[in-house]
Amino acid sequence: MKYTESHEWINLQDGLGVVGVTEHAQKELGDIVYVELPKEGKQVKAGEEAVVLESTKAAADVYSPISGVIVEVNHALTKASELVNKSPETEGWLFKIKPSDLKELDKLLDPEAYQAMLSKA
Amino acid sequence: MKTALYERHCALGAKIVEFAGWNMPLQYKGVIPEHLAVRKALGIFDVSHMGRIEVSGHEAEQFLDYLSTNIIAGKPSFSATYTVWPNGVGGCVDDLIVYKQDPHHFFVVVNASNRQKDLDHLMKYTTAFDVHIQDKFSTEGILAIQGPKALQVAEHIFPEASQIKPMQFLFADYKGSSIILSGTGYTGAGGCEIYAPNAVIVELWDRFLYEGQNEGIEPAGLGARDTLRLEMGYALYGHELNESISPNETVSNWTVRWKKKDFLGKSLMQQLEASEKKRSEHGIILLDKGIAREGYEVYQNGRLLGKVTSGTYSPTLSKSIAIILTEGNLKNGDHVEVQIRQNRVEAEVVPLPFLKKPEQVNA
Repeated sequence: MKYTESHEWINLQDGLGVVGVTEHAQKELGDIVYVELPKEGKQVKAGEEAVVLESTKAAADVYSPISGVIVEVNHALTKASELVNKSPETEGWLFKIKPSDLKELDKLLDPEAYQAMLSKA
Repeated sequence: MKTALYERHCALGAKIVEFAGWNMPLQYKGVIPEHLAVRKALGIFDVSHMGRIEVSGHEAEQFLDYLSTNIIAGKPSFSATYTVWPNGVGGCVDDLIVYKQDPHHFFVVVNASNRQKDLDHLMKYTTAFDVHIQDKFSTEGILAIQGPKALQVAEHIFPEASQIKPMQFLFADYKGSSIILSGTGYTGAGGCEIYAPNAVIVELWDRFLYEGQNEGIEPAGLGARDTLRLEMGYALYGHELNESISPNETVSNWTVRWKKKDFLGKSLMQQLEASEKKRSEHGIILLDKGIAREGYEVYQNGRLLGKVTSGTYSPTLSKSIAIILTEGNLKNGDHVEVQIRQNRVEAEVVPLPFLKKPEQVNA
C-alpha cells in the first residue's frame, strides 16, 4: 500500500491500482453524502482530479495517485456513500486504475512515511 | 474568542472551527447523527456566541417597532417575536428575536457575526427615542436544547419548563441565579433556549447531558445547526440576508408588515415591491445527484437567474436541498438548473419549509 500527501491510498492488485482515501481523510471530511465517480475508461494523469466526495459541509476532490486508465469504479458507493466513512481502506474503495507507468508508484509515500507526515501535522 | 464551554467541547472530542471570531464546535460525533438526534430525541447546542442586548425605557416599544419589519408594538408581555432589521438603504442589518418583558423592558438576541454592528445600529437611533441600551455579551452564556424530548428533559432541571410555550419566555431561578427559559430555537424541532450567567452555564450543560442520557441526548455543533435550520427554510445572516438583499426579497419576507404605519426603510421597500427589479428567495430540491453549494449559479432555459445562498444534504429527507436568490417570478413546481462544477443539475422549486410535518421524521 502506498499513500499520497493529499491522503489517497493505492494498492496494486493483479496489475491494477485500487484507489481510495485514507482513514484520516474520511475523518476530516465528515459524513460523506455523495460520491461523484469518474467514467470508466477515463484517462487521468498523476495528481489529476478523479473523484469528488461531497460531505455535509464541503466538496473535496480526490486526486489519482498515478497516471493511467480508470477501468472500474465502485458502483456500490452510488447507493451507499457512507462506505467511504465506514471502511475507507476496504469496501469504500473508489476506483481501479490500469497504470501507464509503474515507476510513478516509487514517488509515493510508504505507510511509515505517511504516518510520520500525519503525526507531524 | 472562546465561550465558557470551550473546554467541554474539547473534552467531548469536538472538531473546532472559527466562526465570527469564535472557536466553536463544528461537530462531535458527526453532522448526520447529531442532526437526527435533534429530530428524533434531543440535542444540546452551545450558542453563547450569540448576543443578548437589553433595551429599556419609556419608548423602548416604539423604538424597536420602528427598527423592525415585524410588529413589536402591542405584543403581549413575555412574547418572543422573530424580525428582520432593515438597514434603510435596501438591505438587512440582521435578523433576530425581540423579547418583550413589559412595554418598557425588552431584550433582543442577535447573531454572533453582527453583535457589535447591531449594538452600533441601536445606538445610532437612540437619539430620537427615550431608550437605554445595555449588552450582556460578556456575562452570559446561551444553550439551545432542541428536539421532541427537549422540554421533557428540561423539566427535570426546571419545574417551570412545563409552562414553556412556543415564542414565549419566562424567568426561572437556578441555585439563586436568575435565568431565562425561552420557547425558541433554530431547528423546527421544538424545545427551548436558556440564557444564564456564565457562572452556571457549564453546570447546566453538564446537567442536561446527564439528565438527557436516557432520552438519547447528543451535543450538537454548528454543522447540525445549519442542516437543521436549512430543512426549515430559515434564513442565516450572511447567506439569505445581508446588507444588499432587501428584507422583502428574502425567505423572511413574511415578517414585513406593510400595514405598520412606519418602519425604517419602509418606503424604499415599497418601491422595490412594485418594481421588476425585485428578486426573491425559493427552496429547491435537486432531482439528480450533487449538492448545490453557496454561490453556485442557477439557470432556467439557459438563462442565468441567480445564485444559491445556502445548500446542503438534508439528513431527514435524504435529498439535496438549497435556497436560491433569483430574478423573475419562480413558482413552486418550476424547474431550474444548478451549475455544479461541469454539470447542470436539474432541481424543482418547492414550498418552504422543506420539512413539512414531524411525521416525516422516521422514528
